[in-house]
Amino acid sequence: MYGALVAFCKFLEGSPWGTFVRTTDWGYPLIQVIHFSGLSLWLGTNITVDLRLLGIGKRRQTAAQLSSGLFVWNWIGLCILVLGGFLLFSSTATTYVTNPAFRMKLGVLVPVALFWHLVVQQKTRVWGQAQEALPMGKLAGLIELLLWISVVTAAVLIPNY
Amino acid sequence: MWEALEHVHWVTVLGSTGWMYELVSVIHYFSTFFFIGTIMLVDLRILGIADRNQVISQLVDQLVPWTWIGFGFSIVSGFLEFATDAGDYSTVNPFRVKMLVILLGVIFALIVQWNVPKWNRLPVIPVGAKILASISLLLWVGSILAATELPALTGLG
Repeated sequence: MYGALVAFCKFLEGSPWGTFVRTTDWGYPLIQVIHFSGLSLWLGTNITVDLRLLGIGKRRQTAAQLSSGLFVWNWIGLCILVLGGFLLFSSTATTYVTNPAFRMKLGVLVPVALFWHLVVQQKTRVWGQAQEALPMGKLAGLIELLLWISVVTAAVLIPNY
Repeated sequence: MWEALEHVHWVTVLGSTGWMYELVSVIHYFSTFFFIGTIMLVDLRILGIADRNQVISQLVDQLVPWTWIGFGFSIVSGFLEFATDAGDYSTVNPFRVKMLVILLGVIFALIVQWNVPKWNRLPVIPVGAKILASISLLLWVGSILAATELPALTGLG
């Protein structure tokens, strides 16, 4: 299983896109821009709804309205983010896959945070109907906020290993 | 002056204590991408390709406070990171370019925000508004590029 993973990583490193990102001066920063632009859309849409669920800030729209309005760009943001991430990963896949911070980020935190995000997005249609913040909504929003902060923390720690 | 800032006691403590610097980095990355995301969403709304069912001012009123709160966290955490290597950062062109692009981005974000009440009252969003929103969007993506090029070109950050 692990052997297959390492073989796949080597394949990615040797791929045209992996090689491009790794060997050109401007490849890596450019692909980071894709990853970070997607992340900006992802965090912009997610955290805004979480803060609204927490009942902090303006109440021009309900959390349900906000979530519904931002739905499309939330998932477009994720697609851009994942594309950029995949290209970054491909450049030096064999080193990422053995990096504890990267493993924590992609292996544990991202799946948990994504799953929780799906739950929150679904449930916000119910919890987020009212102007006032419901206790379940507040807790859910807070958990999501903390989960995405932990993902960013793991990412920041990647260069340490 | 900037060189001297590097050697102030709390700055050297911040720069040499791993977890402190990492905490500041997390705050910087998180708040930066969050506030840029809120600006992007407003620009995309004005361009008519995001949240079209919502009145512009509704979305903008909801997002704008977070833009500037996020920006505040980003500037403060960014300054702290800058301080730890101020002598080097202040002399390299990529850093100056990054600051310039951010300044331009802030100006355009403000222009867009100030005009939203007026655009909101019009039956159709004017072309001028869309041009301004496009410039704002490009500048903020540009600021991300300037930030990623900084370590690539100088080894700093």
